[in-house]
Amino acid sequence: MGLPDAPGDLSSEVDVDAFRRLFPLRFYERHLTESIRPDGRPLGRARDTTIALGAVASAEGSALAKIGSTTMLAAIKMEVMTPSMDSPDEGCIAIDFHMPPICSPIVRPGRPAEIAPVVSKQLSDTYFKALTSYMCCCSSGMINLKELSLVSGKAAWMAYLDIYCLDADGALFDAALLSAVAAFSHLQIPAVSLNDDGKIVVVSEENGGKLEKDAVNKERMKLTLKSIPFSLTCVLHKNYILADPTAEEESIMETVVTVVLDSSSQLVSLYKPGGPVLAYTSAIQDCVALTRQRMKELQKILDEANSGMEVD
Amino acid sequence: MAGKPGTTPTTYSPSPTTQKTRRPIFNENDVDWVRPDGRGFHQCRPAFFRTGAVNAASGSAYAEFGNTKVIVSVFGPRESKKAMMYSDIGRLNCSVSYTTFATPVRGQGSEHKDFSSMLHKSLEGAIILETFPKTTVDVFALVLESGGSDLPVVISCASLALADAGILMHDLVASVSLSCLGKNLVIDPILEEESYQDGALLITCMPSRYEVTQLTVTGEWSTPKINEGMQLCLDACSKLAKIMRSCLKEATSTSQE
Amino acid sequence: MVGLSLGEKHFIQGGIAQDIRSDGRKRLTYRPINVETGVIPQANGSARIRMGATDVISTVKAELGKPISLQPDKGKVSIYVDCSPTAAPMFEGRGGEELSTELSVALQRSLLGGKSGAGAGIDLSSLVVVEGKICWDLYIDCLVVCSDGNLLDALGAAIKAALSNTGIPRVQVAAGASGDEQPEVDISDEEFLQFDTSDIPVIVTLTKVGRHYIVDATTEEESQMSSAISISVNRKGHICGLNKRGGAGLDPSIVLDMISVAKHVSEQLMNKLDSEIAAAEAGEDES
Repeated sequence: MGLPDAPGDLSSEVDVDAFRRLFPLRFYERHLTESIRPDGRPLGRARDTTIALGAVASAEGSALAKIGSTTMLAAIKMEVMTPSMDSPDEGCIAIDFHMPPICSPIVRPGRPAEIAPVVSKQLSDTYFKALTSYMCCCSSGMINLKELSLVSGKAAWMAYLDIYCLDADGALFDAALLSAVAAFSHLQIPAVSLNDDGKIVVVSEENGGKLEKDAVNKERMKLTLKSIPFSLTCVLHKNYILADPTAEEESIMETVVTVVLDSSSQLVSLYKPGGPVLAYTSAIQDCVALTRQRMKELQKILDEANSGMEVD
Repeated sequence: MAGKPGTTPTTYSPSPTTQKTRRPIFNENDVDWVRPDGRGFHQCRPAFFRTGAVNAASGSAYAEFGNTKVIVSVFGPRESKKAMMYSDIGRLNCSVSYTTFATPVRGQGSEHKDFSSMLHKSLEGAIILETFPKTTVDVFALVLESGGSDLPVVISCASLALADAGILMHDLVASVSLSCLGKNLVIDPILEEESYQDGALLITCMPSRYEVTQLTVTGEWSTPKINEGMQLCLDACSKLAKIMRSCLKEATSTSQE
Repeated sequence: MVGLSLGEKHFIQGGIAQDIRSDGRKRLTYRPINVETGVIPQANGSARIRMGATDVISTVKAELGKPISLQPDKGKVSIYVDCSPTAAPMFEGRGGEELSTELSVALQRSLLGGKSGAGAGIDLSSLVVVEGKICWDLYIDCLVVCSDGNLLDALGAAIKAALSNTGIPRVQVAAGASGDEQPEVDISDEEFLQFDTSDIPVIVTLTKVGRHYIVDATTEEESQMSSAISISVNRKGHICGLNKRGGAGLDPSIVLDMISVAKHVSEQLMNKLDSEIAAAEAGEDES
């Protein structure tokens, strides 16, 4: 930074909050030399993470994921479609990522004419692209699209996955992916049957006794998730690697690396969108190692959330 | 789009086999009719409020009434848009939107213009706009799940979020709606009741000042019935305001500890 | 907005307090209403209402459509208002858009009744041709040509007049269509059905200035209001819809008082409007 050295002397005189606002980078670097972050975390530790399944009753599967104060709500609604000619016995997944104006002061509704909406648009576009392109590749790994088929060539499930960011405080991709995965693990495909008009109808609980002859799937079922992906975003600054950055950390130190591993520790995706710091191979390896630890933590959290649901 | 990009097949949501026609959930002679969720006619759903749901906002609140779940964030007072002319009082900007999965049939998730303007009209009388000249306060609401009486829940939740943001107000704004089904008035209707209603009445009021900031009525009403409906709503509003106030008190006492 | 000097503001407020307004009217007197029907030949029905400088046009277009599955025995009506930017400078751009939506919603609320259709001014079941298959869809489009206050009342009256001017072609349903097939229909060019418009409510807007309320406020008077309530009342004296404008709070007892005043005023307005519409229709037939 092109600032004079004067602030070094100032630091003893001004208030901590003022110093943090005026010289954020300097403020962080002071912490980093002590191997601690302003919120009290060691460099490699992620924030507290929670998953709540079934947050939205109007969707077939839903999950609320919180990493620190970053909050993501993912919900899946199942609709019926006619499968394409190329893959008559496969369903489809459509993914959308939303940043509603409630989640962050930089997002404003209306036409993206001013700078603020443009920034937010870029932000949501980047995440959206990363997420969709990634989910496309991995959905074949995680979800067997054949499981979404109902009547070959006639009807299949279209799973609409919508992820809403309710509170944006850094590491949005990690939270979005976690909520998406959790929503799929919560998803219950309703029992349906084929009616006379060739349309798929839901079998209601009351007349469940007398199933129509064209029952397609008789019971509510869950998808089998093969390899579940988990991700960790790290911020690189000089020689330091900060896992799971907050929004403040992301804005001050610009180089971000996101690593996605699946449950058998295989690398699924690696994402480094530019930034002033060129990442050394060793740094990337460190990030992967951190992600491997994080993956185990997240797997445990997800398993606990799922077993909690079964007890109910 | 996973699989085949570029193709958007038309989809429909499978409808239940039963209930093909309109279900007579209420008929005129049936006095012992019970509401789908077992409440009394004049009984509201249990209300749950929590402030500080969104850290990134100046103030926020989450409200849950049965299946109706909304989240409201307040930003500002902050710089008005450049195109705005000078104003010696503050501006209030409201926007209400739904998530795509909020409604039983998947929606578009766009802004609900009608609700946005209703929210604006309900709140502007309560906020002391003179305290933040030249600037704008943004009130953004997102309906996570629609379970009936969405607008009243959004309005009550928004006034709590404004209080959480420290925006000066004359009073909290509480809002309650009721549906007219046949001869009966049912307060705080759920989605199912709303879809069959013959008439609806919505009141937003400032309970401590006993003033109505917004009132809408649809359907055919005789004067005594309007009187009865208004009184029911006003009573419910003052009860709701007590719950809202205790939520605010709780939030400040925990933050002090 | 309206630029008024302090003196003019006091003059308007003082006049209202003394029950003599700037144009010589009393608080509860309407401006003379001028009704013209059949002004747009392409539409199934149309009317133009002028109240002082306020000038609105309403048209009704009928098209055949399919009823929604939840209400197979009812037709559909939609109301849309457009505020022409030529009517007032504030209608340019977003200001006009917002006002248009607000008026459209208020009119729908006032004239179309509850979700089940109860209390609707227009009998929706009379619009059905074949139950569950074919019904008439009414598209009511309104245009604000010039605005000098009290738009909602004028629009409500224009819709009432336009509907009584509307003739819907008689439809012959071809026999023999059964099951799921869409029946064939034959639309007659000569025989028209008239609407029963006697149940359509009138809208009375009471504008509160100071401690008093006035009807049919001009733009200048509206700029002095603290709040306004629009109440639609039908011939039976039942309230069919209510909207409030203006942010200021009102004591519930004042609201109830305003409702009773509006009911009283609506009777006179209803009779006046009916006779004006009848005169306009008679005039159109002669010419």
